[in-house]
Amino acid sequence: MPEEENSDLVSLTIDGVEVQVSEDSTVIEAAEKAGVVVPHYCYHPGIPTRPAQCRVCLVEVEGQDKLQPSCKLPVQDGMEVHTDSDDAELARKSVIEFLLVNHPLDCPICDAAGQCMLQDYAFETGQLQSRLNEEKLVMGRDRIADDILYFADRCIICTRCVRFMREVAQDDSLVVAQRGDRAYIDTFPDEDLDNPFQGNIVDVCPVGALVHEDYLFKARAWDMDKTPSICPGCSNGCNVTLDTKENQIVRLKPRYNGEVNSYWMCDYGRKHLVMGNRGVRTEVPLVRQGGELEPMDWSDALAAVGERLGGIEGGSAVVSPDACNESLHYFRRLLDTLGVPADAGSYRVEQGEEHTLPGFPKLTLREDRAANGTGADLFGFRRVESWPEPEPGAPLFVLQETLREAPESYAEDASFFLYLGSHLSPAARRADAVLPVTTFAEMAGTFTNHEGRVQRFQKALQPPGIARPAWMVLSGLLARSGDGSPVLDAADAFGEMTDERPEMAVLNWGRVGLKGQTLDSGAGAEAGAGAR
Amino acid sequence: MSDEVELHPAVAGAQPYMRAETQGENSAPEDAPLFDDGAGRERLEKVLSRYPTRRAALLPLLNYAQERNGWVSRPAMKEIAGELDLTPAYVHSVATFYTMYNQRPVGKYLIQVCTNISCDLCGGEEVLERFLEETGTRPGETSEDGLYTVMEVECLGACGFATVVQVNDEYYEDVTPERVPEILDELD
Ligand code: SF4
Ligand code: SF4
Ligand code: FES
Repeated sequence: MPEEENSDLVSLTIDGVEVQVSEDSTVIEAAEKAGVVVPHYCYHPGIPTRPAQCRVCLVEVEGQDKLQPSCKLPVQDGMEVHTDSDDAELARKSVIEFLLVNHPLDCPICDAAGQCMLQDYAFETGQLQSRLNEEKLVMGRDRIADDILYFADRCIICTRCVRFMREVAQDDSLVVAQRGDRAYIDTFPDEDLDNPFQGNIVDVCPVGALVHEDYLFKARAWDMDKTPSICPGCSNGCNVTLDTKENQIVRLKPRYNGEVNSYWMCDYGRKHLVMGNRGVRTEVPLVRQGGELEPMDWSDALAAVGERLGGIEGGSAVVSPDACNESLHYFRRLLDTLGVPADAGSYRVEQGEEHTLPGFPKLTLREDRAANGTGADLFGFRRVESWPEPEPGAPLFVLQETLREAPESYAEDASFFLYLGSHLSPAARRADAVLPVTTFAEMAGTFTNHEGRVQRFQKALQPPGIARPAWMVLSGLLARSGDGSPVLDAADAFGEMTDERPEMAVLNWGRVGLKGQTLDSGAGAEAGAGAR
Repeated sequence: MSDEVELHPAVAGAQPYMRAETQGENSAPEDAPLFDDGAGRERLEKVLSRYPTRRAALLPLLNYAQERNGWVSRPAMKEIAGELDLTPAYVHSVATFYTMYNQRPVGKYLIQVCTNISCDLCGGEEVLERFLEETGTRPGETSEDGLYTVMEVECLGACGFATVVQVNDEYYEDVTPERVPEILDELD
């Protein structure tokens, strides 16, 4: 969307509502500002070209004989636009009738049903009864990429997918083949798409023509809960929505943030979370008693751990770069209380290949494949290639690092080993106390991305057993030794953190909001979400 | 996309086909590179010299591929894409947009019968029927001996001489069903 500060404003009316927009806006953008959604298919705010080819966005402009495509029509001062006049409505109805001529009307088995722009507009403004007597053309379906299927019969040839690949991914390998009613979307015969950002074509498809095979028939759109969150796949911190059903993550969808990821996300991020959450979960606190790990409730466990901590001085620590800022904050405080030297805490970040989205370079799959390496830095943890072997006979404290890749003998000789984690690896089983904590999807908190943008994620899932957010567990542990009181709410944890850390003083829970706030400027991005 | 999508009936080779054994003097084997020999290079350079951008040379080069092979094959599309700095997918898109580019091999004789209004009024349909009958094929299909592909075509621009039939590059005018066997004989 154009930067409004940099250009002159014009006023116009949309269905009688007066709006002011920058002079380089189009009518459809002005309408959105006036609270009027003009049906549209080929137009997508994140794709540069406006081919005005689907014709569903036609509106009436006073003084102009013909209906105009609002997605391409530049605004003019004093323009009077009607999106709901008889002519405009009839045109829309006709366009939708044409789009349905060869459409199989298979909504009951279509993944897009419930989130389909064709279904929505046909229902809102379309013809109730088909007037078609001809036999429908049947095209079939095809594989476009290893995990993307194309249902040609549902396709309305809006070319959003083709233009996303051409203009945003800048990879001209998806095209329209044939023409007219035989047109379909195609790659070069026998060659699949192979682009790290190709999953976005499924999101831009306004209908159910492009679907992810991973989600095929898995869930109906209306059965899923949607929670604003942050992709934990890398340090870019793309804004996403977690679609969940029956306490499971079904999929991730990008959520607009003009400062981070625009309307897009990468394929690694989509798969990482859904596939990556395997392994044995910790569900109840376990404390070693006479050689065995014994399950306990929280108050007994915290009392037992508190007692053991009483006699401890020094040691070393390992944190996961997936731990949130708040948890890292309280963990650091605990380490300080115990006299663990500042440089005795380390973290390790898995590395991967970097990929940049050419049409929106701020979206880069970063080499750092963890959400909060910046946060770990900020709280004074040292980045290492592999975890240093803890000093024999000294205590070891681990926050959320699964230690899956640790050598077999890791921490064998620790005098006391405290593990706060969500998963039980062989190394973690050696702990003297295992305190079960939630994953980011099961709690609220913040991550700091690669450029110092602090972003909030919300709770999407119920945790297993009696697991709790690490910041809650840690503040409870600190409170036992008279250090503050237990914190039960993410906003309060955030508040204590920003009060205590001068470099975070600019942050405000409300301003961080859904779009994040950077540490240096203190200015929150006020970027508004555009139409799909 | 795989080959299973049905092609438009006006596209030659829409139906199952037999590869023609010979394709006339000028034809090269379908997978022989287009631009490796002197003639190919010469044509490429000539075409490129006429346009300000390489992309603009796409249609003339597709024409050339069809001229040599009788159709536009995948290797040909890839080769052209390479010469013009385009993706093979883009070339595929353009080549399939135009029904006059044959997307499958066609017979030695490509017989296109006009059935638009003027020709149809003068019996175009019957002429088409007769060609299909005599060659034992369905529209767009190639005869088993690899000689004939018969198809319907939109207006050939010779309405004064309906029914018009185009065989490869030649026009036959005022064609009636009765003349069909005679025309086929002439071809062999
Ligand atoms: S597949 Fe979807 S996005 Fe692509 S042209 Fe068809 S309807 Fe549009
Ligand atoms: S770039 Fe990183 S944060 Fe963004 S979607 Fe990919 S993995 Fe997730
Ligand atoms: S959205 Fe305007 S013509 Fe398609």
